[in-house]
Amino acid sequence: MNKKGFVLIAAVMLLIFSPFIFSLFYLNLVTEILILAIFALSLNILVGYTGLVSLGHAAFFGVGAYMSAILAREISPNFFLTLFASLAAAIIASAIIGIFCVKVSGFYFLMLTLAFSQMIYSFVHQSTTITGGSNGLSGIPSPLIGSLDFSNPVYFYYLILLLFILIYGGLSLIVHSPFGQVLIGIRENETRLKSMGYHTTLYKLAAFVLAGGLGGVAGSLYTSFNSFISPSDVYWTMSGSVLIMVLIGGSGTMIGPVLGAAFIVILETIVSSYTTMWMMIIGIIFILFVVFFPKGIVGLGKLLFQSFSKSNKLSAISGKKSNALYNNDVKN
Amino acid sequence: MDIIGAQLVNSISYGLLLFVITCGLSLVFGILGVLNLAHGSLYMIGAYVSYSITVHSGQNFWLALIIAPLAVAVCSLIIEMILLRPTYQLGHLSQVLLTFGLAYVIHDMTAAIWGSDVLSIPLPQSLSGTVTLFNQAFPVYRLAVIAIGLILAGLLWFIQEKTRWGAIIRAGLSDKEMICALGVNIQLVFTVVFFIGGYLAGFGGVIAAPILGLYPSMEFQTLILALVVLVIGGLGSIAGTFVASLTIGIVETFCRFLVPELSLFVVFGLMAVVLIVKPNGLLGRQVVKH
Amino acid sequence: MKKKLFLIMLVVFLAVLSACGNSAIQSTSKKEEGGSKSGGTIKIGVLLPDSGVYASLGKHLHKGMELYFDSIDWKIGSKKIEIIKEDSEADPQVALRKARKLIDQDKVDILTGTVSTAVAYAIRDEVDKKKIPFLVSHAGGNDLTRSKRSDYIWRSSFSSWQIGNSLGEWAFHNVGKTMYIAAADYAFGREVSEAFKEAYTAAGGKIVGEVYPPLGNNDYSSYLTTIKNAKAEAVYAFFAGSDAVRFVQQYDQFGLKEDKKLIGSGWLVSEDVRKSQGNAGVGTISSIFWDYSIKTEENRQFKEAFEKKYNERPTIEALEGYDAAKIIAEALTTLDGDASDPDKVVEAISNVEFISPRGPIKFDKETHHVIQNMYIIETKLVNGQTENEVIEIIEEVRDPGK
Repeated sequence: MNKKGFVLIAAVMLLIFSPFIFSLFYLNLVTEILILAIFALSLNILVGYTGLVSLGHAAFFGVGAYMSAILAREISPNFFLTLFASLAAAIIASAIIGIFCVKVSGFYFLMLTLAFSQMIYSFVHQSTTITGGSNGLSGIPSPLIGSLDFSNPVYFYYLILLLFILIYGGLSLIVHSPFGQVLIGIRENETRLKSMGYHTTLYKLAAFVLAGGLGGVAGSLYTSFNSFISPSDVYWTMSGSVLIMVLIGGSGTMIGPVLGAAFIVILETIVSSYTTMWMMIIGIIFILFVVFFPKGIVGLGKLLFQSFSKSNKLSAISGKKSNALYNNDVKN
Repeated sequence: MDIIGAQLVNSISYGLLLFVITCGLSLVFGILGVLNLAHGSLYMIGAYVSYSITVHSGQNFWLALIIAPLAVAVCSLIIEMILLRPTYQLGHLSQVLLTFGLAYVIHDMTAAIWGSDVLSIPLPQSLSGTVTLFNQAFPVYRLAVIAIGLILAGLLWFIQEKTRWGAIIRAGLSDKEMICALGVNIQLVFTVVFFIGGYLAGFGGVIAAPILGLYPSMEFQTLILALVVLVIGGLGSIAGTFVASLTIGIVETFCRFLVPELSLFVVFGLMAVVLIVKPNGLLGRQVVKH
Repeated sequence: MKKKLFLIMLVVFLAVLSACGNSAIQSTSKKEEGGSKSGGTIKIGVLLPDSGVYASLGKHLHKGMELYFDSIDWKIGSKKIEIIKEDSEADPQVALRKARKLIDQDKVDILTGTVSTAVAYAIRDEVDKKKIPFLVSHAGGNDLTRSKRSDYIWRSSFSSWQIGNSLGEWAFHNVGKTMYIAAADYAFGREVSEAFKEAYTAAGGKIVGEVYPPLGNNDYSSYLTTIKNAKAEAVYAFFAGSDAVRFVQQYDQFGLKEDKKLIGSGWLVSEDVRKSQGNAGVGTISSIFWDYSIKTEENRQFKEAFEKKYNERPTIEALEGYDAAKIIAEALTTLDGDASDPDKVVEAISNVEFISPRGPIKFDKETHHVIQNMYIIETKLVNGQTENEVIEIIEEVRDPGK
């Protein structure tokens, strides 16, 4: 078996064994990392593969999360109901918002996504009757499948793990498919693709909806995990946070966002237990990554790996010379 | 009708305050193409420094107005030299991200120096009275802000349109390579522009502090507001920033007056509409795409 | 071949790891054993914001708690008190993570805090499920002791209802028959003003208009202009922190003080914002459960001890921290320091009563909420500085619980 498959299997085994190794607190942390990793993976479709940097992704997370919360409280906490309703709501929202956003690019895209997400935020924050306003919605019942109650954190962990593996696998297939190749083409040189006859706007919209829908799924899982949702999870700082996860992890790769999510969650949790200056530390690390490791943790990992292998001192140096942040090789 | 007049005065005052705060960001983005997400942080430093000068050391407001913007300009000079100059080749997006990380760092540094209590700066004695207009009492300071905003706008317009520096800046906006070829030291221009941008941010901080106060996370609130102004006005255009600030001032003030629950929503809605219909903003020029 | 060997070794390694140690499977399948928690120390988890908008409130709560524990030498019976602090950042998402850490990882006996009501709501289910006694020392959302009540959640601070309601009737008789309401548009602002409206209209008063500026709004000029032109005798306002500083300042600057008295909650003119307001707050009347100016022996001793240790005046939040610490200490003293049974701990808490610097306090056994005095205070100019003065006391205010 090749190197990649080996690493993959080892990782999956580690994840399966987690509840047996980790204490409850760390297991919950891993669950949270997996959910945020799904969120980061969804943003990565836009940022890493299509080259559209969005600062409004929290909007879809929020739509999915609140949909899930309201349904679970008012109708039924059936897991499939909340999950699919959230997915549907997020798809509709991203389709509507996407139609406008894909018409612009670069800085304008960044600002437009921000504007839409802030509009959704202010709606959520003000509508106290539907969304609980600034206090959020709490006491959301744990998800149910049939009569199986997922309030047990270990069962819930396995459910999330299963979903994560499915989504990761599914996205890998999409990204390596012809569709994915078109997205990468749009990122590299949209004009060229257009001249080849591709309707790039349609592809961008599709990517936007895919990203938004999955973002909504992440939001729904988040609500089920915490039994709680509040407007701060729809605020632009959430969008900024997931963008940092994608960029630090390594945008344009599949494993990057997952590593980024893990990195940020662990950093936030552990660092802030020791110091109140955690923002400064995250800021410095972020700056270091942007300047020295623009390919993120994945790039850093590759660099270290290459410098350990006997031949290839040369490729280690050329690895450092890459510039733009999301210019990654197609094979990933 | 009086109340409409009064709200109009409020709008213009608030709008021009926005202008004073945002023009530095607009200038830097227009020339350097770098969206300085640490602009709010520089504004905050200006406010805190003037707090230290006025409240802590009991000096006068006008002294703070002279010193604080210079202090902030020096900070931004240091930032330009250490962070931005070595990284221009990474591209605009990376530099934007750098400034974002910087904002985080500055956040904790200012909290460490000045604490996290809510603070405020008293109005300068000479401007602390009230004046009656439209049967309404207005603090003189608010009217002073209108005057300051207009003077600043006029000054910036004059420099941009009528002086050699302005010509260089306008040319740099359209075609950087060309002015390099014409013998202008583009690096110097960038540094000077960033210095001025920082000065304006600090200046905004001192002027706005007596009205808006100092509190944790103020820089992020201000940043979002500045971004909205920037987008609506059009990138790289001082005139655009001016028009946008006034527009937002009027829209937001009248919204608060007529439909208070929607004021936040409307501002972002306006931003979205402008981006969709006229992405270059109300008066924007096409900024060099990255 | 080598890779297969590695995989096998990995499996063995994992199996060994899972056999020993405190894994999630083990802790979720075991029933609560309890005995593993106590030892020679009582662990108190303190979840307060050390960073973000509410950081200064968190700091004051910490200071009050530490002052009290200092006075008893950090000992209850033969056991030592250990505080484990975590920064909630006033963000429910982060706070829940930290609460889990305190409960699952650090195994605290008692939890106390939080500042933000959203955070309290976020951790409510966790606390209830895991049976951790949670003494709420600030967050005032009504529902916490109403619809979201739990056997393990007891609140020693205040409820939005107590704050708003206490001024309602008094305002009708002593301030004016018509009122305009201005409150920050978030749950806290809405709840307090709602309670005020209820009491005020029940007494016969008329609400002429209401406006809810967004939280963190920086420019009230537009709202103030509207209010100035309204036919109300006075304005009831709820703002806190930087909003309170700006609103009160601008209220004065725009000349509203001349014809409309400003009344509201104590946070409009609390110790930490009055200095920044200059003289703008003079003449304001507000309702609150503790003020610096309360003239009792207990308050005098508290102020003296606080100022000696920290060289600054105590604030409302400092008092809340102080009382919370005292409640925990007194409850555990009756149990001789044994915090192993959460049901016994909450029962002990429910029985605590004493005279605090804010007056006599005790718990309502049904709602789990504190019963306390409310004070009507007026802000006056004394020797060139603004000071509050108690002008009326409303005794034994009990939250209705629904």
